Amino acid sequence: MIELEKLYDRIIQRTNINLRELDFDVATQIQDLIPLSQLTKFYAFYGISPNHPIDFQFRHSSLSGSYFLGKCKVTNSLLYKSDIRGDELKKKGDSFQFKDFSIPIKRDESMSIENSMLIKTLVHNFSHDPETPEEFYIKDTISLHFANIHGAPSRGCFLEPFATVDLTTMNECVIGAYSYIQAGEINRLNIKPGTVWVRVPDNFNFLYQFPQDQLDEYVCFNKCETPKGILMDFVNDRKEDFQQVFDMVSKKQPISVPDNASLDPYAVTKAENHINEKVLVSQRAFLQNVWMGMGANAQENSIIINSRLERYNVTAHGAKIIEADLGEKVFVGFNSFLRGKPNEKSNSRLTVGKGSIVMPHTIIDIEDQLVIPEDTLVWGLIRNEKDLKQNSVSIQEFEKVETGLSMGNMVFEGNGANFVAAFRDRINHILEANGAFFDGKKNKGHAQKNQNMSFNTIQPYPKGDLEGLYPTIIIQP
Amino acid sequence: MNRNVKDLMVPISEYATINKGATLFEAVLALEKAQENYDQTKTQHRAVLIMDKNSKIVGKLGQLNVLRALESGNEPVKSVKDFDKYGFSRNFIAKLKEQSRLKGTTLKKMCLKPAAMKAEKFMETLSQSQYVEEDTSLEVAFYQLLAGSYLSLLVVKNEEAVGVLRLTDIFRAVVDAMKENKAKT
Repeated sequence: MIELEKLYDRIIQRTNINLRELDFDVATQIQDLIPLSQLTKFYAFYGISPNHPIDFQFRHSSLSGSYFLGKCKVTNSLLYKSDIRGDELKKKGDSFQFKDFSIPIKRDESMSIENSMLIKTLVHNFSHDPETPEEFYIKDTISLHFANIHGAPSRGCFLEPFATVDLTTMNECVIGAYSYIQAGEINRLNIKPGTVWVRVPDNFNFLYQFPQDQLDEYVCFNKCETPKGILMDFVNDRKEDFQQVFDMVSKKQPISVPDNASLDPYAVTKAENHINEKVLVSQRAFLQNVWMGMGANAQENSIIINSRLERYNVTAHGAKIIEADLGEKVFVGFNSFLRGKPNEKSNSRLTVGKGSIVMPHTIIDIEDQLVIPEDTLVWGLIRNEKDLKQNSVSIQEFEKVETGLSMGNMVFEGNGANFVAAFRDRINHILEANGAFFDGKKNKGHAQKNQNMSFNTIQPYPKGDLEGLYPTIIIQP
Repeated sequence: MNRNVKDLMVPISEYATINKGATLFEAVLALEKAQENYDQTKTQHRAVLIMDKNSKIVGKLGQLNVLRALESGNEPVKSVKDFDKYGFSRNFIAKLKEQSRLKGTTLKKMCLKPAAMKAEKFMETLSQSQYVEEDTSLEVAFYQLLAGSYLSLLVVKNEEAVGVLRLTDIFRAVVDAMKENKAKT
């Protein structure tokens, strides 16, 4: 696997050159973290459906265990168990609105991954960069376990485990573990772990910082070591279940699914699950004893156990919900971890009232029963009633904020009503895109379009200098 | 008779000094002790000198430095120094600091953390223009104090600190000079 080793070194060098201004050495962070022998073990696969234009181009890359949908090009890159999901890319003839600009889209948008290494990373949505509306690029970038690159073109960046960059163009940045960034555009920033930052310039700015010692319990990334913490353990405990699904993928649904709902064959279902109409369960999602109300969704890498989600719930990429009851239209943001712990002595379940917004990268991990009232905005680390008081506010109250607010480790500047409106719009867009509002004819979304998809597998060179690399493969209609 | 710096300076032996590594609390205790021991007819000291292990003066800790130590040792939000990079406005940051500092804070609480910190963290290091030779005339020292708006100058002899010439000492000399002029007329 000489070529694979050369490629690995080249990607590290490319990223380091970009990060030199931050005086950051990627090599010291990931040395031996990813044994290259792992990259030869798994097949890659891509989806074909009449609803998604295809143009797959793979050149001089390793794609082990990764999934591709829509138009994407991968060049000189190492992808490991990553999802490159191009089902929300802009199409020729669309118009992309950026501030006062209506930008016409002249050709189908495609994803372009070059000189990059993505480990168990989700790439989804579309480019929000007005300068490159037809190309969602990821160049000279390394991302680690369970990072999300969501509508976020990237050049010369390093994303630590469980980091999410959302709707943001990033250049030469380091994003710390379990940080969530949605800020339009960021340049040459080194974001420390556990930072949750949502900013629209001249409108609002939300910032929360996890207490480092407490975050380490859940997500901890030390140089050159596999990520540790409760979240990582939780995911690893379900590794075998996923392995079985990937070994024996079947077109036959393991449970009853309505015609207008979708359960991906690469999702895991265990025990009794109930899927209502217009539900979307994405690949690498895990359901165990779950009731999913109409239009609810469980996105990639989400894990839901012993829980009931009423209609129009959104469980965003990587979110975990355990022993919880969620009211109607509750939004649980990226990589959030919600865990009730009922036992023989007490009913320590978590209840989240309808209309509540659980901010991306929120951890609610309780020992005693906890009820979050309806229409509450929740963030940060919550382990009891006292934490809840410091890390939540009624949405109605928050909408009254005109200049700013500070609570515990959270600071907010700007207009609260605008912030809430932006989130509500986003949640509606997600539900719409996922097909929750399909009326039998109009408003088709992923739950309807992703049905009856075909999957083809591709394999790398098994031996020799090129071991682990895939031959150049071009797949077009 | 023309006087020079050594005629007015406070000898270093009478001045409050601490060793590098001492805490802010030890510094203020040293200042308090020096004030108690100092001749009650003269003006009180307002600063402590900090010496390294070779007894060389490396900095000065004045009363204002101590107050600043209390301010910086009680930052309202842990990440406050990062706020600039996250795009918060200056007004908002200032307001946030203000609110946070005043919330439930007492002078006693404010002293808790900084008192245990090392004094040199808050000291003022001396620039070349804050040194003056002991045989320099008072007139030259007068202009040197004014030019840098200093509260004192460190007096040296053969590169060794021998005393401190304070603004108040020069001021006293100015008052004496005015009185003499008046007496002659």
